[in-house]
Amino acid sequence: MDAVNIAELSGNIAVVGYGLAAIGPGIGVGLVVSKTIESIARQPELAGRLQVTMWLGIAFTEALALIGLATPFIFV
Amino acid sequence: MANSSDTLFSKALRLSTLLALVIALAGSLLGYLFYQLPGVFAALIGAGVSALFGTMTILSIWFGGKLSLNGFYAMVLGGWLLKFLLFAGVLLALQNAEGFAGPVFFFAVVATVLGGLAIDSWLVLKGRVPTVGN
Repeated sequence: MDAVNIAELSGNIAVVGYGLAAIGPGIGVGLVVSKTIESIARQPELAGRLQVTMWLGIAFTEALALIGLATPFIFV
Repeated sequence: MANSSDTLFSKALRLSTLLALVIALAGSLLGYLFYQLPGVFAALIGAGVSALFGTMTILSIWFGGKLSLNGFYAMVLGGWLLKFLLFAGVLLALQNAEGFAGPVFFFAVVATVLGGLAIDSWLVLKGRVPTVGN
């Protein structure tokens, strides 16, 4: 093996971008959902209101993911 | 009688669809100015895809809310996963498409997503969801 090319990578760097764009929103949605479950377990009578608030949390988190996944169209 | 969550979600659906139509129209015009016909297609696909995904979120929470708590989370999180697999598939198909106006697609997606967020936030802040029950 050529010592100069030992760390050579080939492929599209946008693939790394897809991965990175999925990590943050994945954690974010996990947090939103887990906190909603906790809150519903504490106060089940608030479930309706908490689910509506959760919708807003998920919408904001997934916006980041959608934009992140579409960025290769302008950066590559 | 429709409860207040139903009113909120149906209003969100209607406004999001209207916004996607407006962005598809404006994006098509701008896309045509900068990229001719590929710009029009890119704007239509961008607005359509992101409106579809916004709509899927609203529908999953709306109809999931009528199920048990486990069903609700299965529907919301399963829908989220499915949505991103679909979106990645669409991007994969478009990335190698011949003569596709990528920047128009990107800005159509961003405009639809941000506009959808503005609508959602406005509705939740303005909407009256009672503290107890629906």
